[in-house]
Amino acid sequence: MKSFIIAWKDFKIRVKDRKGFVTMIVMPLILTAILGAALSDVMGGDGGFSDTTVGLYQADQDPISEAFRREVLLELEFVKVKMVKNDTELEELLRDGKIDVGLSIPEGWSSDLNNGGLKEILIYSQADKQIKATVIQSIVESFSERVKTISLSTTAVINDLTKSTVVTTGSVNLKEVVDVIVADLNQAGQIQFGIEEESIGKKMVSSMQYYAAAMAVMFLLFNATMGAKSIIQERSTETLARLMMSPTSNGSILIGKFLGTLLFAFVQLIIFFCATSLFYDVNWGGNILQVLAIGIAYSVAVSGLSMILASLVSEEKTTDVISGVGIQIFAILGGSMLPIYVFPDALQTFANITPNKWALTSFLTIMSGTSWDKLFLPMSVLLLIGLLSLTIGTWRLKAR
Amino acid sequence: MLVVSDIKKSFDQKEVVRGVSFSVEKGESFGLLGPNGAGKSTTISMICGLLTYDSGEVTVDGISVKKKPLDVKKKIGVVPQEIALYPTMSAKENLLFWGKMYGLSSKLAKKRVDEVLEYVGLRDRANDKIETFSGGMKRRINIGASLMHEPELLIMDEPTVGIDPQSRNHILETVKRLNQNGMTVIYTSHYMEEVEFLCNRIGIVDQGKMIALGTKSDLVNRLAGGTVIKLSVASLKDEFTASLRKVTNVERVIPDIENNSVDIFVHHHQLAFSDIIACAMDNRVQVLSFEVQEPNLESLFLSLTGRTLRD
Repeated sequence: MKSFIIAWKDFKIRVKDRKGFVTMIVMPLILTAILGAALSDVMGGDGGFSDTTVGLYQADQDPISEAFRREVLLELEFVKVKMVKNDTELEELLRDGKIDVGLSIPEGWSSDLNNGGLKEILIYSQADKQIKATVIQSIVESFSERVKTISLSTTAVINDLTKSTVVTTGSVNLKEVVDVIVADLNQAGQIQFGIEEESIGKKMVSSMQYYAAAMAVMFLLFNATMGAKSIIQERSTETLARLMMSPTSNGSILIGKFLGTLLFAFVQLIIFFCATSLFYDVNWGGNILQVLAIGIAYSVAVSGLSMILASLVSEEKTTDVISGVGIQIFAILGGSMLPIYVFPDALQTFANITPNKWALTSFLTIMSGTSWDKLFLPMSVLLLIGLLSLTIGTWRLKAR
Repeated sequence: MLVVSDIKKSFDQKEVVRGVSFSVEKGESFGLLGPNGAGKSTTISMICGLLTYDSGEVTVDGISVKKKPLDVKKKIGVVPQEIALYPTMSAKENLLFWGKMYGLSSKLAKKRVDEVLEYVGLRDRANDKIETFSGGMKRRINIGASLMHEPELLIMDEPTVGIDPQSRNHILETVKRLNQNGMTVIYTSHYMEEVEFLCNRIGIVDQGKMIALGTKSDLVNRLAGGTVIKLSVASLKDEFTASLRKVTNVERVIPDIENNSVDIFVHHHQLAFSDIIACAMDNRVQVLSFEVQEPNLESLFLSLTGRTLRD
């Protein structure tokens, strides 16, 4: 109970702090507007990738090429396909800005399939549409890999069947069996392809959506230093000593400090969700419960970090330095400045140490549409970071 | 009410409290007097349960601070040396918060806020932020916060440090009134006058030890050669201080070479004075000024330690 009293007191103090309010609420809104608008051309504007126009040149009526056009490109909500007659037209349209990405599928694209692969597709893009080109390229690669897998699997199974006793003795009709197997593999391939598509998300995020999520996670990270600063201030102004002289256990005091940070972080996030939805028309995804779940998990993570930070730092100035430098590094690494998918793979892997990366990618996944099981890992990681930091931080603070 | 038995405390192998013992009866006003760094605040912190003592025992109403700290803390109100308040919160919000931390319900806490603000004379500033208050007003709210739960024992650790005389008087009057209304008070200070004004019994602490304990008259009567003649001279010589020690009725001589002054403890200053002046003339020492101090706690401390309380 006393933990809640302390938490509520901390919350009120932070809400009344005008400078803090501007930093934590107004600033991320302004930055979202600036970055979202400034990078809208690169990332696809407010409409995001739904406006991506792909110029497609098919050199012939190759069946796989047709399947790619019909079952992949035309099925994606954010892609508009414009058919062209040759590569030259493709280049002209791209130059005139009438298409965002050009795809040139060579003659007999799947002719080498039996030898283990598809011929190379040419992808045309312009410097300011690199992200769109990257996304289209990943779709092409994903489709190619799937086709190769099905082809190799089918070939291997038929080879085995041909040599099997039941076929050589004539007790089974090879043609019927092959038809069934090919149909099954195709079906399996389609199911697998469906899963792959869902992991990318059916809807792509706009620059405004991206930076709304990016700024939210970045500015929520400031709660880690603000929470730590609050404990250090209580120590230096002797209010912590006074609390410890009241009939309140040290554990309740520290939990109260944690809850105060958690409450403010969560309310900050809610205000930010509402404000960006209202003023910038940002769509946070179709499932508000998923957004809240990740929001809570991330708030727990930053509040936990505030405790461990308070246990490691004894000067307010040090937390200011961490606020200024440390959070910027985390923000860059976690994708709050530049989209995380433009980073090299190694850096993307390294970014997993930052809780904001987990939160940002989760929000983006929710925005593009995802299932709860996809959010299980990031939620677990965020809660683990929070609870582990809380435990270690509380233990160290008690010892001090 | 409070029994402190031979408590000791060390920090980094340095013993800062070296076996302090005293007791305080219910309704009593007890003063802990000593210079800065004497160990008063550490002793108070151990009584309040903020620090644990290495050995010895502290009990409040028979309850051990070490064994049942939360039970003891409910009975105690502590006024810390620092202004331990939240500056961006109003006086009322601060008092409400501290009341609730002592287990008061919202309704009772609100009622007590009005009473306490009245008591400390700041009812008209209830909704003003603490950061807008003067030092004296902050000190008064600092005291008020510790009164919210009507403690049986009020412990005040140098509550008048750095404030104007008017606020200081207000605080002293408030404490006096609280004690007259039956509250047990422990008051620590290095201001002798405050302790003399407020306290029935006094303990003098120096270098982590209780060097004297009793009522004011007990302590002053203990002072052999209770009157102090303070001489200021042009140049203090060792031969002069040696000669002074031989003068009749002079009990003790404490020279202060740096300031060219000497404190002379005498039995009968009327008789001793002319001999002291004669001694100065014999030693060719020019006397610039002199001051006669009646026996008090300051002179007792000086007599016991060779230092003043403000050293």
